[in-house]
Amino acid sequence: MANQAGLDTSMLEGVKDKIRRGLLPQWAFTDSEIFKAEVKNIFAKTWNFLGHESEIENPGDYVTRWIVHDPVLLLRDQNGQIQAYLNSCAHRGTKLCTADFGNKKTFTCPYHGWTFNLSGDLIGIIAGNKVYGEEMDRSQWSLRKIPKVESYQGMIFGSLDEHAEPLETFLGDMKWYFDIMLGRSDAGMEVRGVPQKWIINTNWKISADNFGGDPYHTAMSHRSTVELGISPKDPMYASYGHQIVLDNGHGINMVTALGGAKVPPYQGLPEDMWPMFARNLSAEQLKVFENTMIIVGNCFPNLSFVSPMHGTGGPDEPLTSFVNFRVWRPVSPTKIEVTSWFMVDKEAPEAFKEASYLSYIGSFGPSGTLEQDDAEIWTRVAEASQGEMAQDKDIHYNNVLNYLMGLDRVEPDESWPGPGVAYPTCYLDAISRAFYEHWVDQLLATTDIPANVL
Amino acid sequence: MKLMTYDDICQFLYTEASLLDTRRYEEWLELLDDSLSYRMPVRVTRDFDEPDDIVNDMTFFDETKRSLTTRVQRFRTTSAWSENPHSRTRHFVSNIVVEPGTSEDEAKVHSYFLIMRSIRDRADVEQMFGERIDIIRRVDNRLQLVERTIYPDQTVLSMLNLSIFI
Repeated sequence: MANQAGLDTSMLEGVKDKIRRGLLPQWAFTDSEIFKAEVKNIFAKTWNFLGHESEIENPGDYVTRWIVHDPVLLLRDQNGQIQAYLNSCAHRGTKLCTADFGNKKTFTCPYHGWTFNLSGDLIGIIAGNKVYGEEMDRSQWSLRKIPKVESYQGMIFGSLDEHAEPLETFLGDMKWYFDIMLGRSDAGMEVRGVPQKWIINTNWKISADNFGGDPYHTAMSHRSTVELGISPKDPMYASYGHQIVLDNGHGINMVTALGGAKVPPYQGLPEDMWPMFARNLSAEQLKVFENTMIIVGNCFPNLSFVSPMHGTGGPDEPLTSFVNFRVWRPVSPTKIEVTSWFMVDKEAPEAFKEASYLSYIGSFGPSGTLEQDDAEIWTRVAEASQGEMAQDKDIHYNNVLNYLMGLDRVEPDESWPGPGVAYPTCYLDAISRAFYEHWVDQLLATTDIPANVL
Repeated sequence: MKLMTYDDICQFLYTEASLLDTRRYEEWLELLDDSLSYRMPVRVTRDFDEPDDIVNDMTFFDETKRSLTTRVQRFRTTSAWSENPHSRTRHFVSNIVVEPGTSEDEAKVHSYFLIMRSIRDRADVEQMFGERIDIIRRVDNRLQLVERTIYPDQTVLSMLNLSIFI
């Protein structure tokens, strides 16, 4: 029996069973049928991050973005409302706007000169009445709207599915943690400059899984910073704190110091800002934020974030925190385009903003001393997952990868003050298992048959 | 720039490229002035009537000699996996145009760069290209790099990472 995407549902049910037991078939990363199904069943239905409100502050401001293969024109209209359109002329389909960002009142297609305003209305046709007469209803030929656009804490998301659940329902318990990262200051966050963009030959799930549920990789992948004396020598250093499994495939790690050892409160953010945090966060959020050193996680499917403390000098240099969000845009089964935004509290002192930016550039992004090695290793996973042995679909065959960490060994910490199921260690595959289980549920889902009756 | 010739500057840039391609990074650091500013802003696609397509607020590198020294030291650890095994690069430097600097001992130097990079056993070629604008100063008997701004031509880098210097 095949589902909408043409995948064998009994095979996917088998995959789901394996995931629940901590095993993931290696072919899931690079199989081309799976990729097609992901585009249709996941990305065309879910909420996709498009940009931050600070990127389009004034009427006429626009940025161009992607939802996988759909080009998106995201703008603020004359009334200050955020709009998102398919960046494609309604006449012959030409990509309408080719700039990364700018400010405009109208968009004119270079092919035949059809012109659209910020509301998407078709307001100009060359020789319009002579060639189309009065009878063509121009209101039928507006720019096509992305079916749903909603924001939370300045984060603008779009969905290609007009029946998508409300954004806040989709984010669910992730909102509580977004509040800490993005809503702690009175005026929220701002994007500095533009996002960095680059290409990595890997699968989007490899990077999403890495940010989402894999603090365990730091001890080895990022051992160079330990050798330099910038990161602690304790191989467990990224395990302290909580890994929190959230609904809808989301997950977040709140990393602290060993045994609640004293760390700079609020990731070392300037003391003048602390009263703001108290105003904007609940007592529980404030307590969690105060003790956290590193925040890292993934918002299903492919919006990852990291907020660590890092430096660009040696062990004697102070560490500065930053907030970084990135989208792993799936270009093909083995290629992603990374778009990575550096964000900072609008009301942070200028000196902190600068130090935070330098901390980000030094550690993450293409040249980052941490991220350099991630990209190389993720590439190697994709390289080694495309052969016959890894691609063998017989799920009884020995081609599964190990997601067993903590399975049936670690109990949730009931005393955790935040939402979600929180485990008292970050060296755990609980988020990854939940991520892949949600992923396979989306692939199993069809528009009219719930997954549980297939 | 009376104190240095065009040939001196070419020799300096070619020597630098050779040091980078042979990963003699400690010797490369010696070419850098202590006050060095080394930046690579982001290139963007802008509309026809917006000629400035460089965003200086966001960069791929925004370095001092200290932070570059940290990066070099990291490559010398046993676990800088992006360069373990190391990638193989060729820095092609050309179109060198020299302008007078702000003082007799300085020159403003424009050069094109093309970096070809080969990684492990992969047959595909990673590449990057663009222009650099340098301030080069004569200090005692040698030249030093005081300032470098790297302008990539790509708005989306086609390299997986920048575990190299430009």
